Amino acid sequence: MLTYLPKRIGQGLLTVFLTVSVVFLLIRMAPGDPAASFAGPLATNEQLAAVREQFGLDKPLLQQYVIFIGQLFTGHLGQSYSFQAPAVQVVMDRLPYTLTLATSSILLAALVAIPLGMWMARRSDTDAELGVNVLTIAGQSMPDFWTGIMLLTGFSVLIPLFPASGFTTWGGLVLPTITVAILQIALVSRMVKREMVTNFNAPYLNIARSRGVSERVLTWKYALGNAGIPVFTALGTRFAAMLNGVVVVEVVFGWPGVGSLIVRALETRDYPLIQATVLITALLAVVVQLLIDLAYPLLDPRVRLGKAASA
Amino acid sequence: MSTTISNPTQAPQSPRSSAVTKQMLKKSSAARRARSTRIKLWLGTILTLVVVVPIALANLLPIADPNMQDLGARRLAPLVDGHLFGTDQLGRDLLSRVLFGGQTSLMIGVLAVVVSGAIGVILGSIAGFYGKWADVIISRVLEAQMSLPLLMMLLLVVALFGPSIPVITGVIAIAQWPEVARLTRSLVLVEREKPYVDAAKTLGLPKLRILAQHVIPNVFKQASLVILLLLAQAVLLESALSFLGAGPQRPFSTWGRLISDGQDYITTSWWMVTLPGLFIVVLVVGVNLLGDALRDGNLRRSSKKEGK
Repeated sequence: MLTYLPKRIGQGLLTVFLTVSVVFLLIRMAPGDPAASFAGPLATNEQLAAVREQFGLDKPLLQQYVIFIGQLFTGHLGQSYSFQAPAVQVVMDRLPYTLTLATSSILLAALVAIPLGMWMARRSDTDAELGVNVLTIAGQSMPDFWTGIMLLTGFSVLIPLFPASGFTTWGGLVLPTITVAILQIALVSRMVKREMVTNFNAPYLNIARSRGVSERVLTWKYALGNAGIPVFTALGTRFAAMLNGVVVVEVVFGWPGVGSLIVRALETRDYPLIQATVLITALLAVVVQLLIDLAYPLLDPRVRLGKAASA
Repeated sequence: MSTTISNPTQAPQSPRSSAVTKQMLKKSSAARRARSTRIKLWLGTILTLVVVVPIALANLLPIADPNMQDLGARRLAPLVDGHLFGTDQLGRDLLSRVLFGGQTSLMIGVLAVVVSGAIGVILGSIAGFYGKWADVIISRVLEAQMSLPLLMMLLLVVALFGPSIPVITGVIAIAQWPEVARLTRSLVLVEREKPYVDAAKTLGLPKLRILAQHVIPNVFKQASLVILLLLAQAVLLESALSFLGAGPQRPFSTWGRLISDGQDYITTSWWMVTLPGLFIVVLVVGVNLLGDALRDGNLRRSSKKEGK
């Protein structure tokens, strides 16, 4: 444990550092001039040069990188070009929206997927299960932007139940949450089913049954208890991935989160904003992943951190 | 007690007449699982063909040119004036646009899977077979890539190299190779411990030749099972990129672009989003079902072979 934690934190920080470095390089290699998109199409060459100097883009790449590394340590990543505010601040303002959407989606997914997966495992290979199985495959086959637009058309345009875009009332959370959750439900319920079936077929369960343990205890305590860890990991990993922005769904619903922010930042070549977004979301994802790992021993007393580092 | 969770491999197989009736055999979980797999296989094949065949024959079918505008026939509803799927905001035939757009989408998907499959199998088998530093490097790159925000990186790279078809194909392939590589690596790790590899070594075959001629062919069949699942993913990824405006540009009208164009008209013209989307869904469901069924079937065969 004492060597495990520093090692994991070190690995996580290294991943974050590599990620931001790659992004730093990529955006500067990309065509498109942030000065041009900032100063507008009518700007003269002198104005463009002035803007570049103001943003520090006239310096050599290596020097820009060194400045950037320095900024990483101070936590101040420069002014966003288009928002005219500290880039970190802009991202932090958007973060609660993405967190809200990600949390509500993962909760909905867990609430539906776990019972659904258990049901599928118990009814394995019946006609009803086959039907649900095909439905879950459909769930993971629908492009999320399309599902989103369909839900919008149905429950916002045709039947005006929910607002079409933005997050002004709690009702605005419903459709994006469902859109994100559909894919997650499909993936997680199939996984729950797989894990449960593996446990149902395991010898220990037959022994327990032969000793007269009731079916209910077998299902809920034995099989689900053992299926819990991989399922919990999957849910956590999916949650961490969502923190990188549920890009497409946020764009469809005009959701003021990190995902729609990054699309806008890419379009306007807002370098500081892109870097700040990547840094913060990558850090968050690493932290969530670490928390999941730390929670293992709580779920399963057999797990000793550090020894099971391959997990 | 529920019979659904009894051990499937215990289904009686003796040729002697027994008290077990055919009816009971049919109900056994092994038989039912085989039936599920069969149904999935058929359903998957049918759904895939429903989409792929018209796309493949698009040039032969008697449909309008996908780019022919008719401003007098803007946003016609489906089935009006011989337009099976209706028309779009410029009066172009939607069915024709969906089919020809599908050619681009499918081509990108297939090419991406071929490229990612090749990279994945080669790097994965090198990592698994040679181990040591090769494994360390490849596994690290894998991990690093899987922790990157995928869609954002794809958007960045497309912005960098321009949204041409080779770039988009390459980007999707790069997004997908880790999955193939991981699978191949784990298969090769098992394979290289088998006696025939030792035998080949004793015979003095060079390592590379053992890998290329004996190990890879042996793991290839299992590794190739993910291909269909990857194809489904590739089609979805491409449509998401197109939807965000980072897909192939004009004159190619891929499915994601059709949907993003139609988004502005959802209040009045539902078909412009619904129908192209349904095409994607039917194709991807079909391909996923096929992939699922093949994997189920393969799992069962291999567990039977090993006598479980």
